[in-house]
Amino acid sequence: MEFFQATLVFVVVAPGLVFGVLSLLWLLGWVTPERVVSRITAATFSTSIVGLALIVWRLASTGASSITVAFGNWFTVQDYHFPLVLLADRLSLPFLGLTVVLAGLIGQFSATYLHRERGFVRFFLLLHLFAFGSLLAFAAGSFDLLVAGWEIVGITSVLLIAFFQHRTPPVENGLRVFAVYRACDVGLLLGVFAMHHWAGTASFAGSLPALSGAQSSTVCLLLLLAAAGKAAQIPFSGWLPRAMEGPTPSSAIFYGAISIHAGAYLLLRVQPMLVQSPAASALVILIGVLTAIHGTVVGRASADAKTSLAYASLTQVGVVFVEIGLGWKWIAVAHILGHATVRTLQFLRAPSMLHDYHAMRSAIGGELSPAGQQMEDLLPEPVRLWLYRWALDRGHLDTILDRFVIHPLIRLSRLFAKLDNVGMKQEVGRREKVALPLESSTGVGGG
Amino acid sequence: MVDSKTMLTIAAIGTPWFAAILAAGTRRQARPIGVAASIVSVAASAFLLRDAPAGESLAETLMLLFSCLAVVAMLVMPHRDCTTGTVAGMLFIVGSTLLAYSTENALVLLAAWILTTVPFFLARLFVARTWRPRAGLLLSSIALALAIGLIAVNGQAMSIRQLRGQNPGGMAVFGLLVIAVIFRKGICPAHAWVADAADGGPLIPTALLLNGHFGALLVARLIVPLFPNATRNLFPVLSYLALATAMYVAIRALTENSPRRLLAFLSLSQSACILAGLESRTAEGMTGALVHWFVVTASTMGLFGILRLLEVRFGENLTASTHLGLAEHAPRLAVFFVIFALALVGLPGTLSFCSQDLLIHGTLASHPQTGLLLPVAIAMNAVSVFRLFTRLFLGKRRTGFTVMADALPRERWILTAGALFVILGGLFPNAIVARRSAEAESAGAAMYAPAGLRKSSEAGR
Repeated sequence: MEFFQATLVFVVVAPGLVFGVLSLLWLLGWVTPERVVSRITAATFSTSIVGLALIVWRLASTGASSITVAFGNWFTVQDYHFPLVLLADRLSLPFLGLTVVLAGLIGQFSATYLHRERGFVRFFLLLHLFAFGSLLAFAAGSFDLLVAGWEIVGITSVLLIAFFQHRTPPVENGLRVFAVYRACDVGLLLGVFAMHHWAGTASFAGSLPALSGAQSSTVCLLLLLAAAGKAAQIPFSGWLPRAMEGPTPSSAIFYGAISIHAGAYLLLRVQPMLVQSPAASALVILIGVLTAIHGTVVGRASADAKTSLAYASLTQVGVVFVEIGLGWKWIAVAHILGHATVRTLQFLRAPSMLHDYHAMRSAIGGELSPAGQQMEDLLPEPVRLWLYRWALDRGHLDTILDRFVIHPLIRLSRLFAKLDNVGMKQEVGRREKVALPLESSTGVGGG
Repeated sequence: MVDSKTMLTIAAIGTPWFAAILAAGTRRQARPIGVAASIVSVAASAFLLRDAPAGESLAETLMLLFSCLAVVAMLVMPHRDCTTGTVAGMLFIVGSTLLAYSTENALVLLAAWILTTVPFFLARLFVARTWRPRAGLLLSSIALALAIGLIAVNGQAMSIRQLRGQNPGGMAVFGLLVIAVIFRKGICPAHAWVADAADGGPLIPTALLLNGHFGALLVARLIVPLFPNATRNLFPVLSYLALATAMYVAIRALTENSPRRLLAFLSLSQSACILAGLESRTAEGMTGALVHWFVVTASTMGLFGILRLLEVRFGENLTASTHLGLAEHAPRLAVFFVIFALALVGLPGTLSFCSQDLLIHGTLASHPQTGLLLPVAIAMNAVSVFRLFTRLFLGKRRTGFTVMADALPRERWILTAGALFVILGGLFPNAIVARRSAEAESAGAAMYAPAGLRKSSEAGR
């Protein structure tokens, strides 16, 4: 393995190693001091940034298109392989760079922001695990490996939403987000299976699996389900405001920058397949347009800063989806990079927004003009009122999901419980109030 | 002259039985006796596995797995539960289960099958509060006894090796064996006894019984090798039933608030996938099923063990209907719980990620329509187990008690060992998968002779 390949491996694995070592020490009873944790974090991500810069320099100087590290197969059964291939190419490098830079910045910010918070070490452990999952997903050379990173990002996201574990709403919202993630990830699993079944591989180091038009459409539609779930696109947008229950730094990196764009990255990876499938491309554009409109309307009626920012993110990611559907790959990449950095800054400034507002008002010597109101004035009064009500309930998306998916499932579950108790003298198990685990009964909002 | 394999087998099986008698006769030292006997079984099984030829080591591997599980059960069991009767009963189950794994004789298999259930009929040992567990175990034993009785009446030999491919007793025996699997495994509609057993009986001995996976054992050891033709034509029905069970129980678990019943449902749903994989006739599906066997066994024992530790510390009225906030008092138990929980449902970095990857590929390749149920059921199980975690461990801190112990050193070390197994197995799966793959191919070639296993890319076409 040459130096630059080793550097790529280091960049991906380093946060995972830090997570593993610190977790094991904690399990064995050693609590790492705050200062040590923040210094290890700074050292890890600084080194990773330097490493990535070297890789970029190498690619630029030699004119090579990618660096590939093949470790062989993770496991093999007959002709089925799970290839362990890392790939740094023109698409993955911007995302890798974004991840290490922002994770390093968030680490620095959080060392102060979460100082003496009870979950300080837990936050940093999860930050490292998240960075590892993201880097693995972005540097994966096959969809099999991408699934692994994708799932790690999902579980970390949920654990950080429930970071303030002593309050019920964050915990319940974390569960809701987990349910949406798992449901949508079924699409990713099936898409990867379909690639293996039809093409015999799910590796994209080199070229994408060779599929026919219909097969490409099927795979793209399955992957679109996963991408829409991860990127909170319609009809899965309801989880995004719930995710704002987590600490602000995690909201910034997850829902302002990395996690929210992971769905777009997945679609960018399969873009050549998407081109073969007009139906899938049209659906991507449609979902993007609807989400962009939904995001901008609901965001205007949101009462707290983080939720407004989350919906602003949603609008931009919707536009990114449209760009991908139209085949504007590199415009989408540039859009993602710009949006992620600006939005992260906005999220990190959100807790001091009032202070900033007062400072700006003092500086200009009067009231600030309300941004965007002129757009609403163009609409007739009844439409505005209807839209306001629609926006207040966040497009009724949670209500629809509850009514058509969760409530029927719960009713079915209760019916099964009754069937199980047929013939029993008394109901088996503990008789108590049955909680509705996934209903949207808990409040949402910034945390 | 007795060869070393026989000696080791006798040591692995006989030591727990002898220790059970010893433990029953002592007032104290029950746990040390149980641990020592289990360790002897582990050592003997390890030597047996070392000497077993590649591709034909399934029985030895299962013996090693189950005896390791016995060590975990003995160590993780709370002091309150560690009575002489409980330890003796558990050792009896361990010996009987190892006998079932090691035997090549149908009559001995029947005896072992029945012996593992005996402690669950004795009022002084592990009898459950409701009648359904006893009914389930009894009906499965009767069905198996009738099947083997019919084989004997037909004048056939009792050696499984000699019976292979003979279709002994015809469809009647095949049907009885399938009924035995349905009742023992808890396949719908005979699934309710599993939750009743976990809810109304002693938790750790019940986990030991369920993790014997005798239903899957009967499929792999008797049904498929003895009835290749019937298996080819009719066995998919059992696979569909297993997938339906995985789905049914996953939906059922969504609103279950008793942690014991919820874990039993999850264990049942996940272990039903093993049957689906065994039937898939693909190398991926069968290998996935065998690896999943390991994962479900390790994870559910960890989860049941932690739940029992929580019950002992915080009272037996634990519920998933409200947030209990126990992570505040027992953070390490919370971490172990979430590791085992996510390991059960396919978190990357754990062994179940690999097993479920293989299972999903194998099952979908074999049954594209019904196979779709598998990832959906696994996703629902993930939601249910995560809900249980959040309800037990997260939420507002409980104030009804003063100081509560987190994981004790004994518990911490054994749970760490279990967690390391699922994590290291997930990081370096090839050591386990390659061996299971060889066994799956060898077993599959024998089970599905003369055609052997299908390639997944050819299956379902």
